[in-house]
Amino acid sequence: MKLRNLSFLLPFLVAAGLVTAWHFTVVASGSTIFPKPVQVLTGIVELARHGVLFKYVVASLFRISAGFLLALAIGIPFGLLLGWFGLAFRAFNPVIQSLRPISPIAWIPVAILWFGVSDLAPIFLIFLASLFPVVTSTIAAVQNIQSDYLRAARNFGVGGLSLFRKVIFPAALPQIITGIRIALGVAWLVVVAAEMIAVNSGLGYLIIDARNAGMRYDLVVAGMLLIGLIGLILDFLVRRLEQMDEVRWGGRRA
Amino acid sequence: MSKGLRIITMVLGGFVVISFLHLWLNIGVEKLSWLSTDVRQETFKVGFLPVTCHLTCPVTDWINTNTTGKGFYEPVRFSGWPEIKESIVSGHLPATFLLAPLAMVLRQQGVPIKIVYLGHRDGTAIMVHKDSKIRNFNDLRGKTLAVPNRFSNQYLIVYKGLRDQGMTTADIKIVEMPPPDMPAALFSKSVDAITSGEPFMGQTEIEGYGRVLYQAKQLWPNFISCVLVIQEKMIREHPEQVQRMVDGIAKSGQWLDTSQENRMDAAEVVAKKYYNQNPKLLRYVLSQPPDRVTYTNLSLAKKDFEQIEGLAREVGILKAPIAFEEYADPRFSEKAQTVSLNKKGGQ
Repeated sequence: MKLRNLSFLLPFLVAAGLVTAWHFTVVASGSTIFPKPVQVLTGIVELARHGVLFKYVVASLFRISAGFLLALAIGIPFGLLLGWFGLAFRAFNPVIQSLRPISPIAWIPVAILWFGVSDLAPIFLIFLASLFPVVTSTIAAVQNIQSDYLRAARNFGVGGLSLFRKVIFPAALPQIITGIRIALGVAWLVVVAAEMIAVNSGLGYLIIDARNAGMRYDLVVAGMLLIGLIGLILDFLVRRLEQMDEVRWGGRRA
Repeated sequence: MSKGLRIITMVLGGFVVISFLHLWLNIGVEKLSWLSTDVRQETFKVGFLPVTCHLTCPVTDWINTNTTGKGFYEPVRFSGWPEIKESIVSGHLPATFLLAPLAMVLRQQGVPIKIVYLGHRDGTAIMVHKDSKIRNFNDLRGKTLAVPNRFSNQYLIVYKGLRDQGMTTADIKIVEMPPPDMPAALFSKSVDAITSGEPFMGQTEIEGYGRVLYQAKQLWPNFISCVLVIQEKMIREHPEQVQRMVDGIAKSGQWLDTSQENRMDAAEVVAKKYYNQNPKLLRYVLSQPPDRVTYTNLSLAKKDFEQIEGLAREVGILKAPIAFEEYADPRFSEKAQTVSLNKKGGQ
């Protein structure tokens, strides 16, 4: 019981320690530009009072979920197919691997040229960034399925679509979900870059806008903290998914 | 799989809720073009940056909204030149405020745009750190100076200033930097001098570490940095809208230069509603001194642009000569002129 309490408290202690260190480092350096934790907190309160905090969180969440869900909808089926059919894998893999390392920032001009100044351009960037982790982890998941499962399924006469639905997908799911976790992290990673495009809401926009506004580095750091906090909550939710019985099926190994 | 289905339903349900909230809070249902077709025909997007060179864009919109209940165009705030450039090149943005040399270069590269009016005069300074010993161009030798963009008139004014002192751009180190980052760069002394449109130059004075080396007018009287650029398609299809916008800018420019009270009112509203800056900044650059940036005498004059073109060719950002008629459409400017003259005659 005591150990449990400690493991619950420990993350808070580490965070509190870091915030304290931050405060005293700023005080010691005598910097008038870099904000103290209290100033950042006042900045967040100010945003909330102006009614933009909720709006910006909603805007970023919308763009993230749209791009991310699109990446899942396309990436998982595509990855399952490429993981299963060796020829398709050999055909597509070089293209996937050469597109994968390109930073979303490099795609900004292309996104503006294609989608103009609307929500579509940031959604496209987030989609692109989260697509590749989903595809590659799904491919690897299918390729790593234990052959026992497949042999057993064949013996029972399972084939075609139901093989995908009843064996391949569930067996690959744990690794796919790891890919989803990585992809969600990447999606949040690019939100600042994605919202550099002429949108006028969102947490990434908050950071860029604060740079335009003169000495508002408190809001820059506020935006960073908010992105981090929401990322933490989302990751917690996906991890809950990972621990469910249905999902753990494929991970159970003798 | 019932649990799996439940998760999928929950995720999709969450997405629907978030989409609805986003639509309601950030987009506004009335702005959806497929819900109300007339909105799209009536208003058009105009790009701008939160700088004084583009001040007439929000001021005109504000005056329109106040007098008629709603504006006839939608000012869209960008955060940097590359994004504006790409939006105009791709044709997604029908009108924007743009650096004059950049407009010429884009036109030369085949982008169907025309300059129809000026946005301002003056409103640029070259700043150094107040501790530095730099007093003139000669002292800048070997030092680093930040300009907003290679296709900016700030780059040309530096070139002109150096040339007039018998120096060249090879004598100093010139770097490109987004104007919002310039004050911090000067504060930390990572560059020796900065130049861009206001209010970022005035900001360094307010915050107590910047000193004016030159105001634009000392180097280049009646300096122009940004101009109003319109897609040719828009000019062909909606010339009346273009004229309305040019008239609006001419009038709001005159209004801004009529009295200091008007300027302070504009500073307050624009800073809060359009630029999201501290109003102190705009109040300062619009008054210290009052002619730091001016908004009259905005009609297109061929000789102004020939001077810009000449400098742009000397410095090498324009590769070949380009005729005034090719990149400028002075019809709207000429009409706006007569409108204001008639008004004066009637008074």
